[in-house]
Amino acid sequence: MIFWEIAKRNIRLHMLRSTLAMLGIVIGVVAIASMGILGNSLVATVSESLSSVGDRVTVSPYSGGGGGFGSGGGGTSTSVNLKLSDQNFQEIKRAVAPNVAIPVVSTSERMKVGVGTDDIVATIYGVDPQYIPDLKLVLTAGGYNNGNSGCLVGFTFAKDHNIKVGSRISIGSDGEKGTLRVTGIIEERGMSFDLSTDNAIVATQDWFDNTYNRNDYDQIIVKVKEGQDTADVKTLIEKTLNKRDKIVSVMDSKATLASIYSTFSMVTTFVTAIGGISMVVAGVSIFNIMMMSVSERIKEIGIMRSIGTQKKEVMSMFIYEAAIIGLIGSIVGGVLSIVAGYLISALMLGSTKYLITMANALSVGEGICFGIVVCLACGIYPAWQAANLNPIDALRHE
Amino acid sequence: MNEQPVMVFKDVVKVYPLPSGDVTALDDISFQVERGEFISVMGPSGSGKSTLLNLMGCLDTPTSGDIYISGTRTGDMSDMDLTNLRRDRIGFIFQYFNLFPLLNIIENVTFPMMLKSQKTVDPEKGKEVLRSVQLDDSLFTHTPTEISGGQQQRVSIARALINDPDILLCDEPTGNLDSKTGAGIMDLMSELNRKGTTIIMVTHDSHIAEYSQRTIRIADGRIVQ
Repeated sequence: MIFWEIAKRNIRLHMLRSTLAMLGIVIGVVAIASMGILGNSLVATVSESLSSVGDRVTVSPYSGGGGGFGSGGGGTSTSVNLKLSDQNFQEIKRAVAPNVAIPVVSTSERMKVGVGTDDIVATIYGVDPQYIPDLKLVLTAGGYNNGNSGCLVGFTFAKDHNIKVGSRISIGSDGEKGTLRVTGIIEERGMSFDLSTDNAIVATQDWFDNTYNRNDYDQIIVKVKEGQDTADVKTLIEKTLNKRDKIVSVMDSKATLASIYSTFSMVTTFVTAIGGISMVVAGVSIFNIMMMSVSERIKEIGIMRSIGTQKKEVMSMFIYEAAIIGLIGSIVGGVLSIVAGYLISALMLGSTKYLITMANALSVGEGICFGIVVCLACGIYPAWQAANLNPIDALRHE
Repeated sequence: MNEQPVMVFKDVVKVYPLPSGDVTALDDISFQVERGEFISVMGPSGSGKSTLLNLMGCLDTPTSGDIYISGTRTGDMSDMDLTNLRRDRIGFIFQYFNLFPLLNIIENVTFPMMLKSQKTVDPEKGKEVLRSVQLDDSLFTHTPTEISGGQQQRVSIARALINDPDILLCDEPTGNLDSKTGAGIMDLMSELNRKGTTIIMVTHDSHIAEYSQRTIRIADGRIVQ
């Protein structure tokens, strides 16, 4: 159609001006889409480390201030002397059956690795070896069969203190609590809902009970079987134990995961909105250029109207112009945002393996669509103004 | 053959309301234009010629009175219908040619055809009309700025003729041309009139007005002759 052709030629005639307007849209789309890509990659990275423990319900003594995230090594519970009794454990075990209830004890302790080294402080968990497979503690070296004085150590702990399978760790100041022999090194787990093992030691519950003279627990981890809802298990435990007074805090890992995802989603939306500001600036620039285009062509509009061009046809000519700028700017911006997303992911997350995902494609698509919509929206008023010029006044315009 | 007048003005009044008081640009104007006539409209500056031309071209509406174009009363028509009337029944020729600089000659000429058909048109009819106004084929793909004033006015005439209008409205068609080129344009308009085109021409120039068969003289918004 002739108006599409006129729009194209007008853009070509004012190439520099049109290119600058497109550049604004390119920057806007890149800002929005690459922020979206960064947010999505961040969520994907976190999801990977959390999704494997999305089937846990963690029970800890009620401290008056909510359950909190993970056990944190039990140090807090120990300091305020909040524990779960064996009776609590038995009640939970019965309530959640056939799901597996795993009692866990923990403390923060001084220790020494090798002769002549400085004391270090780390968390020691005590877990019955029969539950180790249920906790999904994957080993990078050694084995689970650790005996009573054997232990597993976390990946970061082993790396930082140069610990290998067979290394010995003296527990307590001057080794007063005995020595543990490392039988296996646990794979890096990152953030976790149950045991934060990366910087910790996992000993047997028997060793722990004997060493610290314990007959109670810091937390009970319930591994929910497939097909069952963690929320139902949480309700069941609360109904059983918190009948009269609130004595336990129950954390549903799936709900917490959902809450984390929701938070990340909000962060992604927020950073994308910041990118959106540059799109608004680009929109203002498009609006300005379209107003200039209209004011430069008032006489031409007058001629068109006098020889029989309808208002909607005049309007379409300017809308086409805005659409062409928006379409080219947005597509170029979309392509560049993939490059920007790659660079940002590589620099900030250290990995680009989540670049090609549906969520990122959607972010780029959204950026492109937003760019086009902004251009069209900013072209509507100038186009409307052009269409509604009085033909007589427009013809007289010099 | 349709024998009704192509244009009828009946008791037409045009008043412009201004803050300083109403200005009557046309005061009780009545006339009619028969098919095939060549009429000049003359008068001094401020006499109402432009207002009359705007009303004849359906670019403006009268304050009172009626205007009929080929039997159709324009007062009842919507903006869209008036625009279609301008496109289909009226051809405009301007003093400053008013071609579209972004389009080449053939596209300028076929522009009203494209408005009418709402699609791409065969340029052959445009070429035919351009040849009928004696424009050389080699100029068809040039842009308006690449041809002379006389040639631009020929293109403008071709554009006005492309939809076979009932009336050609000309606003000082030779006002921006030298006398020789102007005479050539007027010869062309006379030729078109001889072939049956109805022409209404606004001019200051009495020599140019001599090409017409009838002259309407206006002074102070009234027809004086």
